[in-house]
Amino acid sequence: MTLPTTPAPGGAANRATQRPTVGDGGRSRWGLTLLLVLCTLIVVLPFFVTISMALKSGDQAVEGEAFALPSPISFEGFALAWELTDFPRAFLVSIVITLATVVGTILLSAMASFAISRNWDKRMFRWSFFYLLAAMFLPFPVLALSQVRLTGLAGLDNPAGVILLHIMFQLSFSTLLFTAFLRSLPEELEESARMDGASTWSIFWKIVFPLMAPMSATVGIFAFLKSWNDFMMPSMIIADPSLQTLPVIQEIFQDEFSNNYHVSFASYLMAMAPAVIAYVIAQRWVMSGLTQGAVK
Amino acid sequence: MGGSALATGLSGCGDGNRTRTISFHQSKPEAIPYFRDLLQDFNNQHSGQIRAVHDSSSNLSAGFVRGNPPDLGCLNYNYEIVRFQERGAFSDLSDLLDEANIDPSVEDLVDEYPTYPGRTSVIPYSMMAAAVLYNEEIFAEHNLEVPTTFSAFIEVCETLEDAGVAPLYSTYGDPWTVAQGLVDYSVGGAMDVAGFFEQLHELGPDAGPEAEVSFSRDMREPLEKMLQIAAFSQAGAASRNYGDGNLAFARGEAAMYFQGPWALTDIAVTNPDAPIGVFPLPMTEDPDDLRVRVNLDLALWIPEDSPHQEQSRDLLRFLIDPEVADPYNEQNLAFGVRADAPDVSDNRLQDLQAYVDRAAFYQGVSVSIPRTIPFENYAQGLVTGQSLEATLRTLDEDWARLARR
Amino acid sequence: MTTTVEPTTPPRADGRPGSAPVHRPRRVDRTHFVFLIPVVALFTLCITLPAVMGIFFSFTDSIGFGEFSFVGLNNYIVMFSDPAILSAYGFTIGVALSTVVLVNVAALGLAIGLTGRIRAKTALRTVFVMPMVVSGIIIAFVFQFIFSNTVPAAARAIGIGALEESILADPSLAWISIVLVTAWQATPQAMLIYIAALMTVPQDVYEASAIDGASPWKQLRSITLPLISGFVLINVIIGFKDFLATYEIIVGLTDGGPGTATRSVAMAIFSGFEEGDYAYQMANSTIFFLITLAIALIQLRLTRGNARF
Repeated sequence: MTLPTTPAPGGAANRATQRPTVGDGGRSRWGLTLLLVLCTLIVVLPFFVTISMALKSGDQAVEGEAFALPSPISFEGFALAWELTDFPRAFLVSIVITLATVVGTILLSAMASFAISRNWDKRMFRWSFFYLLAAMFLPFPVLALSQVRLTGLAGLDNPAGVILLHIMFQLSFSTLLFTAFLRSLPEELEESARMDGASTWSIFWKIVFPLMAPMSATVGIFAFLKSWNDFMMPSMIIADPSLQTLPVIQEIFQDEFSNNYHVSFASYLMAMAPAVIAYVIAQRWVMSGLTQGAVK
Repeated sequence: MGGSALATGLSGCGDGNRTRTISFHQSKPEAIPYFRDLLQDFNNQHSGQIRAVHDSSSNLSAGFVRGNPPDLGCLNYNYEIVRFQERGAFSDLSDLLDEANIDPSVEDLVDEYPTYPGRTSVIPYSMMAAAVLYNEEIFAEHNLEVPTTFSAFIEVCETLEDAGVAPLYSTYGDPWTVAQGLVDYSVGGAMDVAGFFEQLHELGPDAGPEAEVSFSRDMREPLEKMLQIAAFSQAGAASRNYGDGNLAFARGEAAMYFQGPWALTDIAVTNPDAPIGVFPLPMTEDPDDLRVRVNLDLALWIPEDSPHQEQSRDLLRFLIDPEVADPYNEQNLAFGVRADAPDVSDNRLQDLQAYVDRAAFYQGVSVSIPRTIPFENYAQGLVTGQSLEATLRTLDEDWARLARR
Repeated sequence: MTTTVEPTTPPRADGRPGSAPVHRPRRVDRTHFVFLIPVVALFTLCITLPAVMGIFFSFTDSIGFGEFSFVGLNNYIVMFSDPAILSAYGFTIGVALSTVVLVNVAALGLAIGLTGRIRAKTALRTVFVMPMVVSGIIIAFVFQFIFSNTVPAAARAIGIGALEESILADPSLAWISIVLVTAWQATPQAMLIYIAALMTVPQDVYEASAIDGASPWKQLRSITLPLISGFVLINVIIGFKDFLATYEIIVGLTDGGPGTATRSVAMAIFSGFEEGDYAYQMANSTIFFLITLAIALIQLRLTRGNARF
């Protein structure tokens, strides 16, 4: 595997774009394109409804007609939702939890995977791998109630507890990805560094971890999506409502929104927008990362 | 306000001279701004000693499980609270009873639930009386009198329906609205709810569809009548929710609406001059056999686990002071719970005062059932087409199963 | 920390593990323990301990706090005769199965389309991945509005009587809304896996079969599907496990209603918490975990023959 230092569409995606030239004549099929465009309507519909409702005035929104375009365009809903849900605070909490989860997941699972893959012949390491993997089949609801008690006892009934648990739930999948990747990484580099007298510690941080960068990106993207969008865990674990995350805030205020659809949809839109915008900007990069996660 | 839980935890370890932060849990959405102002007053009076923080959305069960429940709770009194009370999670407040001076008929309502022996776990704060809300203008337009018997009520509905007016606005999308309105009014108007549950509790695990007291036996008739009434709901009731209902009723889209006085605040936002009256739902042919649904809308309690017993009591005393409690009840269309509480002043509710005065009231069946049995969902199921027979049988079996655990 | 796991064999003199043919167990580098042990320890505290604790409380009558006593297997016995629990399992498994089928058909279809000769490939892919980026609870609230307002209004305008009443309000149809919204959100991930899978299929295989005159449908069945069966397996396992734990989409759409028509197992478990049914629902959780695990193992075993890992 060659290692691009600048993130670019993965090898697979490159092959895909070349594919038409290989086939018979390379003509694009307009029928298929059109069919897919029609399918996008299903994807786009909820986003359209959200934007349309969010931009309405209170009087127009209360009618609940999504296809009636906003007239006049009003930002009243945003102002009200911003204030009511204390958006900046919830946003900050969500961002902190998500970033800490991403960093923590990458570091911890990279370290564990390195240890496991380089000692695969040792029973203890092999078993640790399967032990961590078992959590893939453990749905959160099964553990939730006990975790609420334990985090309470440990004083972790706050965003820090959610970060820790998010990392733990990402471990299985991330370790799976990293060990698969590490197995494909030639050990010669490590060997020669070792002969030069480098310690395992510095071999990992100076050589192996940088080489893992493409897979770290993948692991990070998955951790980001899981953590940013999670509802169940923060809603159960975080005791202080003023430290709740964006998705949970939506649920808390759902009753108060009542029929003020412009407020509720403005609130949904503000909660969705950061991730959607980040995704659209980094789209190529994210897609190759996700695809990479998919093949491994 | 941020990090209040943390602040609570920290100040718990501090010494006596610091400001103690206590959390006050109150989640009735209509009353949040009001209590926020009250707490401000309290904090000003006690600055340097106590700071009370308003908590309106933390998860109560999780708080108790973690051992950090709110310091003072002020919530609807029903099984949601009773399960904590039953296991002795609340501290004894009997020394405050004299000060609170609770009306005996209200005290009886508290005792309809399982209490913790030897303790006064809660102090009632506010009571709501609910009945059928009706649009006086629509009634006048069709020359309709307020019905006092079940058959007169059905006639009113038929007249309205023939005239092309929706007799009743229902919101099946929110299960609680079905349970507290249609179901509670119908059952409470027809039978002795408290007596029924007393007998049922005595049966314990012997309860069941065939026992001499059972849902199947005693609630079939009232619920059949309930379904008869429900059939007069507007088209599309199944996907409407509470917000839709308030909006539509404020706009005069239906003649009647089975909601409590809490809805009036929201209705007034859409139409401050909505011509609304209230009457108890007649379920028998005896015009004097009328009762209204009441609930202890707010009751105060202090968890045993709270490290701030003294400070929480200070806040509790502040709240039950007639000069604080009476304006709250007046403002929020509620009835006072003290023996010497003033009458309601809102003219829409004055018609209910007479029923409250002679205790012609009941607590709804929906709040008399432990919450492990999803009664509100069963109620919603009934009006959206589930079989009555099967639902009653399920209720009986659920009750027996619960008693076996 | 490492003393308890130190190999019994003496350390090698050269201290270069793995560089020579291994006959005797080589010594594990201390750093590797430093890397692994804290992770395993944290994992044990955060995942294993709560699991064990849950199983413990399933044999008690605890309501989550305060005193409790042991009741043996009582919770399990009562549970298996509780129609609410049994129907929650029926509902959850039914929804998970339907969703797995819908997601995989949609994802494979889209993946084939998106790897085909089309215009605006990047733009289309970007759009189709978008559902993955939004939170389930929020999208469920949006769809809740669409199903209860937009769809009935549109049906009235066009005159489709059957759709004028919201499907969320119909106990026999509400589950469909949950399948649709869950699938809406879950399809992108499966689709990406299939896109990646289709890339691994060498192009010349298709060319050869095209010369033989095979129809696209036959190509799909006899070439594509067998070649990507391993990926189908992954999608089915991951999807099924996720859909079994369906919670937030139901909270946002129906909240278990109408009646109790859409109460999933996860909802029942959480209700145990909200309604003071802690120990009973811990018994439910334990059974739920065993079922999830069993299904995963069965799936693995059934498909081991033709899966490529």
